[in-house]
Amino acid sequence: MNIVLAIILFLLMIYIDFKRGIKLFLSLVFNFLILIVIFYMIVLGLNPIICAFLACLIISYIILYFVNGENIKTECSLKSVIIVLIILAISIFIMTKLSRIAGFGYESTEEISMFSYDIHIDFTSISICLILISLIGATVDASIAISSALYEVYQNNKHLEFKELFKSGMNIGKDILCTTTNTLLFVFLGDFMTLMIWFYHGHYSFLEIMSAKTFLAEFIKIMFSAIGCFLVIPITSYITTHSLLKKK
Amino acid sequence: MNKKFLFILSIIVIVLSSLLIFTYNNDFLYKDDIMRITKIKTVKVETNKNSLNFKEKHYYQKIYGVITNGNDKNKHIKLDYESTYSSVVTDKLKVGDKVFVDNDNIEGLKRDFYVVLMISIFILLLYIVGQFRGLLSVISVLFNIIIFYIGIFLYFKGINLLVLVIIESILFACLSLTIASGFNKKTLSAILSVIISIIFILILLSIVILCTDYSGVNFNNLSFLTIPPKDIILPELLIGSIGAITDVAITISSSISELIDKDSKISTSALNHSSKQIGSDIMSTMVNVLFFTYICAELPLFILAIRNGYSFSNFMHENITLEITRFLVGSIGIILTIPITTFISIKVFKGGS
Repeated sequence: MNIVLAIILFLLMIYIDFKRGIKLFLSLVFNFLILIVIFYMIVLGLNPIICAFLACLIISYIILYFVNGENIKTECSLKSVIIVLIILAISIFIMTKLSRIAGFGYESTEEISMFSYDIHIDFTSISICLILISLIGATVDASIAISSALYEVYQNNKHLEFKELFKSGMNIGKDILCTTTNTLLFVFLGDFMTLMIWFYHGHYSFLEIMSAKTFLAEFIKIMFSAIGCFLVIPITSYITTHSLLKKK
Repeated sequence: MNKKFLFILSIIVIVLSSLLIFTYNNDFLYKDDIMRITKIKTVKVETNKNSLNFKEKHYYQKIYGVITNGNDKNKHIKLDYESTYSSVVTDKLKVGDKVFVDNDNIEGLKRDFYVVLMISIFILLLYIVGQFRGLLSVISVLFNIIIFYIGIFLYFKGINLLVLVIIESILFACLSLTIASGFNKKTLSAILSVIISIIFILILLSIVILCTDYSGVNFNNLSFLTIPPKDIILPELLIGSIGAITDVAITISSSISELIDKDSKISTSALNHSSKQIGSDIMSTMVNVLFFTYICAELPLFILAIRNGYSFSNFMHENITLEITRFLVGSIGIILTIPITTFISIKVFKGGS
């Protein structure tokens, strides 16, 4: 079934834009392969957080330079994504340590019951790695959207000052912000629906759901994806404005 | 403007911090006993080996604490707990943590404080970056969650889940679009497009499902459900992608309305061309967002399975397929919406003038 769906997706992408469709599809395949390699590196016992950073860098590089081409826009985006990643990695580290969302919740015990739990890999760092990699897509895309829009604005109004250009970047950012919040929320709700039915059958109360590890792990993941977008908007606006005006 | 911003910001900070203080001290709301840990003593450390010779440390601990709610309030107790280095199913407890206690067993950490903490950071940043419009999107999110909750409730009353989800999705779209851009022609054409896109996606999916009968898709991930997973997969896929579909619809219909506003004699083929241009921009954005959010969810299970001697191909067959299906369906939904919205927006705007 997945193969049929993948073919449909590919055809649709080509229909919208032939060249970009092919590039996008190829980049997805690449990204998938990279994820698998990174997953394997973690299995072999390398530090998951370093692996996650590496994965994020390669993935942003692919999305930015392969799909969007090498220019001042993508350069600014890459810089801002790296800054955001560093900020987020620190906050994710603190949050994961605090809330202890590592590992599997009570709800998945059946699914993992056939495995031995003595695997000698700290699941706290696995959680951090997971959150970092899952937010990279949203963050990179918000960043490239802003830097390209700012570039267009600058091309059409070369006389703009730093403050005005930065402000228009933030204005474009607001659009992206609402869009991303919506998209991510529903991705979360889709996953959450099955969980909700389970919670209902298990007679969980509202408060018990809030303390469930499965719920909180999903929730923190989605929230950090959104926060990544929020942070990247001002940072990209600043860096892009700065380097556009410096060029002049 | 700046004064207003600071004023609202300080209100938000006050509300959120009082909420945080409340959740930190809301033990009395719970029926189960809650214990605040005052001391942890590790009695014994043991090293186990699994079948693949991974050495794993097990810590046998004595946990001392005070009950903070219910009839036994202020009672001092002592419990046993076993935690491991990997913490696959256990937690690493610390002094000061609050845990649920049931029959002298530690059931798990009290985590509601962290939910509220996360929401607080989210709202604060949303307001600082997005200002008033950011807050509006929170309101529409809230409404959507309420509708979602009512929907789940009705499902347990016996209404078909797929029908419910279709109605819900249309309501979601109407609400979030009207809140975000008011009631006008743009919103109307976006709502129409969302409805028609949903119908198209459902037809397409039903055809694919009929032809392939879920071959190659494994429902192991949903094994905890008490109802057949096939009943829930289609509604779940639909809910998961409706947010993205709505966004694509409004972006395309507002840019077409912009184009027609600027040049009322613009030809249909020119409109088609530029909406494809815009479409291809959104396409790559949304597809990437969905890709990483879905595929990464499988990482913990992957590690656990491979570290237990599972082969890669086995894992691919049994676990990751459902996530890939979710991603593919979501992306197909997004891309299908682009031409459908273009078609409908052109009809709405050109038909009216």
